[in-house]
Amino acid sequence: MRIAAGVDVGSTQTKAVIMSDNGGVNILARSLVDTGANVQRAAERAFDQCCEQAALHASDVGFVVGTGYGRYKIAFGNTQMTEITCHAKGAAFLCPGTRTVIDMGGQDSKAISVGTSGEVIDFVMNDKCAAGTGRFLANSAEVMGISLDEIGPLSLQAKYPVRIATVCTVFVESDILSYLAQGKTAEDILGGVHLAIAKRTLSLARRLNIEPEITMTGGVARNIGMVRALEEVLGRKVQVSPDAQFIGAVGAALFALEKLDQSFESGIWRGDHAVTGGH
Amino acid sequence: MTEKKEYRGSIHQRQKDLMLAWYAQLDQAANTGNPPTVTMMVSGNCVELLEGFGAIPIYPEVNALQLAIRHQSLDPILAAEELGYAADNCAYVKADIGCILKGITPTDGKLPTPTLILCNFVGCNTYLKWFEHLAKLQNAPLYVIDVPFMRADHPTRFDVEYVVKQLQETVKKLEQLTGRKFDHDRFRQAVDCSRRSEELWSQIKHLARRTPSPFDAYFDAITLMGPLYVYRARPEGVEFFEAALAELQAKSDAGHGVYEKEHFRLVMEGPPPYPYFRTFRDMFAKWQACAVASTYSTVGGLWEFGFRHDPDHPFESVAMHMIEQNVTNRSLLQRYEQLRRYVEEWNADGLVIHFVKSCRLFSAGQGDMRDYFTKQLGVPTLYIESDLEDPRYFGEAQTRTRIDAFFESLEHAKATASVRVGA
Repeated sequence: MRIAAGVDVGSTQTKAVIMSDNGGVNILARSLVDTGANVQRAAERAFDQCCEQAALHASDVGFVVGTGYGRYKIAFGNTQMTEITCHAKGAAFLCPGTRTVIDMGGQDSKAISVGTSGEVIDFVMNDKCAAGTGRFLANSAEVMGISLDEIGPLSLQAKYPVRIATVCTVFVESDILSYLAQGKTAEDILGGVHLAIAKRTLSLARRLNIEPEITMTGGVARNIGMVRALEEVLGRKVQVSPDAQFIGAVGAALFALEKLDQSFESGIWRGDHAVTGGH
Repeated sequence: MTEKKEYRGSIHQRQKDLMLAWYAQLDQAANTGNPPTVTMMVSGNCVELLEGFGAIPIYPEVNALQLAIRHQSLDPILAAEELGYAADNCAYVKADIGCILKGITPTDGKLPTPTLILCNFVGCNTYLKWFEHLAKLQNAPLYVIDVPFMRADHPTRFDVEYVVKQLQETVKKLEQLTGRKFDHDRFRQAVDCSRRSEELWSQIKHLARRTPSPFDAYFDAITLMGPLYVYRARPEGVEFFEAALAELQAKSDAGHGVYEKEHFRLVMEGPPPYPYFRTFRDMFAKWQACAVASTYSTVGGLWEFGFRHDPDHPFESVAMHMIEQNVTNRSLLQRYEQLRRYVEEWNADGLVIHFVKSCRLFSAGQGDMRDYFTKQLGVPTLYIESDLEDPRYFGEAQTRTRIDAFFESLEHAKATASVRVGA
């Protein structure tokens, strides 16, 4: 049995997944820790927790692929791949038929066109601005004194969603304060916030050919309000895996399994090139 | 780490020597008033005309990029912003204005107050205001050549006559300002030197069609562009490009490329992020990706498709160069066509578009450009954003992720293609 891991060091949270291939591919364990200031330590903690859950020793894991912004800081990783490539791979595995991935993370959002074997055909990312990302939601939640877990369900109860004109993650706070002063309900304000991000994401994704199935990945996919808002602006169903937050790590672990399969390595995927050049 | 084999032949040193000699001449002009100097825009420059007066050019963009590449551009940019220039003004303008305010030069030497500020603006109308400000700050005379933008495939006869008349007026203006008579023979010889330099430069560019390419037509081409703008109309320029061609030809004949193995061939659109030039280059070197063609190297002139200055029609060919034969004065559709030819004829795997935040004029249409290449032509295209001069716009982690993901995707496409071919 081949055992491999993927570690996704994101800007906010670090995710690790251990997978096995014994004729069928399975997720053995998953773990999640806050990234914090020490990226290397976060990766180690996530990996150790994952090993513990799977009742494995680190040496049982044959190959580790690191991904996410902190991928080059994973000292125990065997190679690195970008989260774009890993999200496409992970989404195609967890949600078969995926052709478009919308990934909303803590500090960036991406849209990815995915091929039939989970490969990246094209992608677009937000520019150097946190509009349309998890940070926009987190700031909105904070200014309203509502927990991040509550804002999604609350937004679904909006009757008359307010219009949030700004796409600036900082200025949205003053927009919200102004609506609160006008006596708007928290539900209507949150409904507006979610729609604003969904529209922003739609304009990003439209630079690609948006083809079904559409799968949402990243931490924000846990927010049901965001999923529904995206479905509303896209006019289509959006798939969300229960492991949406782990999809980057799942993709990385799948590449790691391929690395362990010599017959596969000499076939389709020659990712050797990505092994070089740590920074 | 992949071994980089950057172009470091004798040409590199010769280029450095030539550019330092130019700055030394500018320093001499600042101290003695001789030779006369003319501030011009790099794109569509008429350096041949200056030769008729024994005058030399000052290029504000070259000064600005020299500072950026040495990580010294932010101070002058901030100085200009303190004066009131907006955050989204062209960063070249701010760096240049800031340098004048603070007395900064790219070398230890001085830069002269120009004899004339010649606004040969092609395509980029920011220059109109930029050079007006320079004229005011430097208390120097300003003359504007109005170059019609390319509205169709070719300029009309009237477009050419219009520019020729303005060039002849520039001659009169320079005669007054320098007290020198315009030397027609020397002008014709300069145009002939340009013709020869351009022929050699074009041959160098065509060497990149070979696999592997003996030089990187983006990162290495930038090294060769200085002499192209300053010296092409002089015998030193011709000698320089003869030596460059011989050296690169020999390298290519020996089968040597930029890398041990040329893994990817790219076409590049847009100028580089000069404040992170080295970092940016390394991001491509890691993947052994060689640029085989670039539009940026045609900012000063587009010669690989056949145009040459003509000593039998010196004024007309200078006008044609200014109107039609530089990338900044061409329409977006002509830029598409230029890039399409590069991808096809230089046999590239993909296109990289570098969007420059502070250059609205040339970056504005690049979203559509990306769509055209990905959706209509099926050319893998990477779109990255930063700035050519302002270091504040460069996000290293984001840029690295985009570049790595692009190559991971290309790698997969190549691997599956080879499996299909082999099957």
